[in-house]
Amino acid sequence: MNVAKLKAALRLPAVLVALMAVLTIVSPRFLTISNLSNVLWSVCVISILASGAIYAPITGGIDLSIGSIAALTGIFADILMNRAGVNWLLAIAATIALGAFIGLFNGFITTRFKVNAFIVTMAAKTYLYGIAMVISQGGMKSILKPAQFLAIGGGRSFGLPNPIYIMLALIVISHILLTRSSFGRRAIAVGANEVAARLSGVDPDRTRMAAYSVSGATAAVGGIVLASLTQQSFAGAASGIELDVLTALVVGGTSLLGGSGSVAGAFIGAVMVAFIGNGLNLLNVPAPYHPTATGIVILLALIFNMGIAPRRRGAAGGKHLRRTS
Amino acid sequence: METKTAAGRVLLDCRGISKSYTGPQVLDEVDFSVDRGEIHALVGENGAGKSTLIKIVTGVTDRDSGEIVFAGTAIPRSHSKKAAQELGIAVIYQELSLIPGMTVAQNIYLTKEPRFRALRLIDIRRMNADAQALIDRYGFPLKATDRIDRLSIAQRQTVEILKALSDRASLMIMDEPTSSLTSAEATRLFDIIRKLKAEGISVLYISHRMEEVFDLSDRVTVLRDGRKVATLEKGKINPAEIIRLMIGRDLSESDRGHRMTRKAGEVVLDVRSLSSPGLFRDISFELHRGEILGFGGLVGSGRTELVRAIYGIDGYDSGSVRYLGKDYRPSVRAAIAGGIGFVPEERRLQGILAPISVARNIGVANLDVLTTAGMVSGRRELEFAKRGIALMNVKPDLPDMPVGSLSGGNQQKVVLGKWLIRALKLLIIDEPTVGIDIGAKEEIYAHIEHLAAQGVAVILVSSDLPELTRLADRIIVLRKGRIIKEFDEGVVSEEDVLLASSGIVEGERR
Repeated sequence: MNVAKLKAALRLPAVLVALMAVLTIVSPRFLTISNLSNVLWSVCVISILASGAIYAPITGGIDLSIGSIAALTGIFADILMNRAGVNWLLAIAATIALGAFIGLFNGFITTRFKVNAFIVTMAAKTYLYGIAMVISQGGMKSILKPAQFLAIGGGRSFGLPNPIYIMLALIVISHILLTRSSFGRRAIAVGANEVAARLSGVDPDRTRMAAYSVSGATAAVGGIVLASLTQQSFAGAASGIELDVLTALVVGGTSLLGGSGSVAGAFIGAVMVAFIGNGLNLLNVPAPYHPTATGIVILLALIFNMGIAPRRRGAAGGKHLRRTS
Repeated sequence: METKTAAGRVLLDCRGISKSYTGPQVLDEVDFSVDRGEIHALVGENGAGKSTLIKIVTGVTDRDSGEIVFAGTAIPRSHSKKAAQELGIAVIYQELSLIPGMTVAQNIYLTKEPRFRALRLIDIRRMNADAQALIDRYGFPLKATDRIDRLSIAQRQTVEILKALSDRASLMIMDEPTSSLTSAEATRLFDIIRKLKAEGISVLYISHRMEEVFDLSDRVTVLRDGRKVATLEKGKINPAEIIRLMIGRDLSESDRGHRMTRKAGEVVLDVRSLSSPGLFRDISFELHRGEILGFGGLVGSGRTELVRAIYGIDGYDSGSVRYLGKDYRPSVRAAIAGGIGFVPEERRLQGILAPISVARNIGVANLDVLTTAGMVSGRRELEFAKRGIALMNVKPDLPDMPVGSLSGGNQQKVVLGKWLIRALKLLIIDEPTVGIDIGAKEEIYAHIEHLAAQGVAVILVSSDLPELTRLADRIIVLRKGRIIKEFDEGVVSEEDVLLASSGIVEGERR
């Protein structure tokens, strides 16, 4: 029993190590400080977003709007600080609140009108991008001040880039939230069997709305880090990142059917996603081949990670029944 | 036992079947055979290995060792569901497997629809005609064009049987086929089973309901702890004997009738003129401390809807509820906070969080006490879980085990246990022992009786008449959403409740 558990827990890290080994062998430049610090940025941004986005699939939903939320909140923070003259700390707080609010709205629409989260957040992805285009007037703005804001993404503390600390903090918080908090319990319960959860006193709608709020809030944090790091804000700043995040989540063992997920797994997933992109660059694979190669590698990672794992028989049965009822 | 050829008497012959998933032996050298045109009952407590044996025969699971010969064909160690189906083995599922949005005919002919020669499009007219012909041959009250989701569970079951017939099945396996049927529907099913037998089709029948087993079967095979204990021939079948073989201890037979008593204690629940259009109407009753109030009636009589409204899952239109002497607006949250527990029907769909551990299943219903400042105490959750497991005698006693991988009886014990570790004042239970073996059933009964003795008020909805008459202090019978009869004194038998449920006696007795 415990041996099986340990094996399951070590499978994903093993896949990661295997991937790193392959990359190290095929490219001598892979395992160098300068290369790894390049990869770090994408790991940080993906992990920050994933730390909150994980709650949507855990409740049995999905959040496709996080890329647009990140871009929009980046622009919003810039406007607050550099056009409205708001203090940078206040601006950050307001930006995260905006992200949480957008998420809450997503959750509200999904639960209130019983619309599939895929469609709701897909629509949100589109109209939020539209709003971002409008308020940025379709342009790319450089963010040159304030220095404190720029230090969030660009600065270092104790020798390490700041985004690492933000990422680690969010991973730890999210892990605790998922495994130790009452919210985490409720989210997992709703994803595992909504009816049974409701009869046990869990309010599925409130839980879902909370899940999407968390997702929106971390997307805003990601947006802030990204804007600060790149010193830019524009509507397309994080376009497509939701797919990287989803990939990281799924590779990391989060079930899109709800009821299970792991924040640590999502982090390893994020590292893998970043390494794959990086590896293709190092190997001088021409850009047009990247998406295909990435897709294949992700599939392989998934099969490798899940194929050996025993199927959850009881769980699958329950799920099947729930879906057809 | 001598080997039979395809033309011989034996249809299914299993020899020395063994199976273990991880660790313990689920099946151990089981020999077992079914004759042509035989109704063969397979009995045993949950966990005895019945389901595994069925899964092996139907190709869902591979066996570790042993030989299986079906109609003269040796079945390979690893065969598929499809291969078993083609050989003529059909399963009538306990949890039905029809597609709700499709018609009877579409379900019967799913993946084998009659087609036009040109373009291979489905010939809907012929499909409906064929289906109707099949239906009429057995005289079922069905139309080929009825949609499945408009049919009762009993009707759906007949569709499953028709589907198997259209596959030319020679062995039909029925797993707890009467668990969600009314007595009248069950009787009809037995007629169908006898008809199948008359046509030379064998039926392998799994049931926890002993009366059925004795009435119906030609032979009974008893499994215990993965071993075959005995196969008994008709005439030598003796209820007490089989139960003893199954569980290795004696259980008293249910008496003829049970005495009803009116309890006088404090009123816990006072329901006045509760109505919900189309579901139940003008329901009034009082429930006292320490009282077990049974709700009888046919499936669909509004019992489940009524208790769901009282627990606060669905609303109601008019009427009032007073709880512990105060006006009360039902909501799940208020119910849990106020000491009400609810064990729903259909434990897999509504009761358990299958992929989640026992500890978490218990924990979710107790988050209010386990949470401080939004954080759940894992240590206290484990404590709660261990208490629940010990109290309910859940096996295996592993808090980390996903509930979905427990047997039905143990799943139900977890669902019940998560409430019993709380300070309850009212427990609402809906069909608590459907599909559960006798041993677990007795344990659950003991818990319900013990709770009542401690002063907890209990509402029990049950279609299991021995269960209802035995446990209840008082029985209210619903019919078409209204109270048709209340038994609160004298001796009440199963027949009394059944007659009232069917609307035959109105106020004649008493």
